[in-house]
Amino acid sequence: MEKFKRTVKRRITISSGMALLALVLGAYSIYSIITADISTATHSDGFVAGFQFGLIVSILVLSVIDIIKLSLTIKDETKLKLLYNKEHDERMKAIRSKAGMPLIAVTSVLLIIAAIIAGYINITVFYTLIIAVATQLSVSAVVKLYCMKTM
Amino acid sequence: MKTRIKELRKERKLSQEELALAVGTTRQTITSIEVGKYTASLVLAYKIARFFGLTIEEVFDFSEENEF
Repeated sequence: MEKFKRTVKRRITISSGMALLALVLGAYSIYSIITADISTATHSDGFVAGFQFGLIVSILVLSVIDIIKLSLTIKDETKLKLLYNKEHDERMKAIRSKAGMPLIAVTSVLLIIAAIIAGYINITVFYTLIIAVATQLSVSAVVKLYCMKTM
Repeated sequence: MKTRIKELRKERKLSQEELALAVGTTRQTITSIEVGKYTASLVLAYKIARFFGLTIEEVFDFSEENEF
């Protein structure tokens, strides 16, 4: 269990780093929105900026929740054992595997990064990539829910 | 697959949560095994049987598995 405790501590550190990065990017994003030249900005520019800001806020909120949850877990041996069991549960591993995890998560992150970059060049590509991510995550979630009901 | 887990658990006045914690799995998995939705792996079946001080055959009923 000591090894898992170290893993949890490492996750808290990573989440703290992510929260800090999101905070910096969020501040920069707000600064960019405030100082942007509205007269030359298009609707697409506003949408991409809004999407990026929403993504940053989501990362910040999720990271903070993760830090709080893991910090509470690490103090309680029973909670730590429950978390270990949950993460190493063979049934959940089988369900996640059927739902395409972790490959779906990796490709989704890559597609979101690609969408943000594409957003500066072509808005149609941006929309296409975002719809692709939303679709694959939805399909994965439906498969996961179905497997959880039947397994 | 039929199992005697629920019966053995009741005899020992154990909750699903307690059994799950003892054998390193989740309450949901114990529920799924008990109702026959999920077939435990050999490792988990061994852990459950060992927890009750029995053999795998005494806890899990393999008779239906041989029917085609």
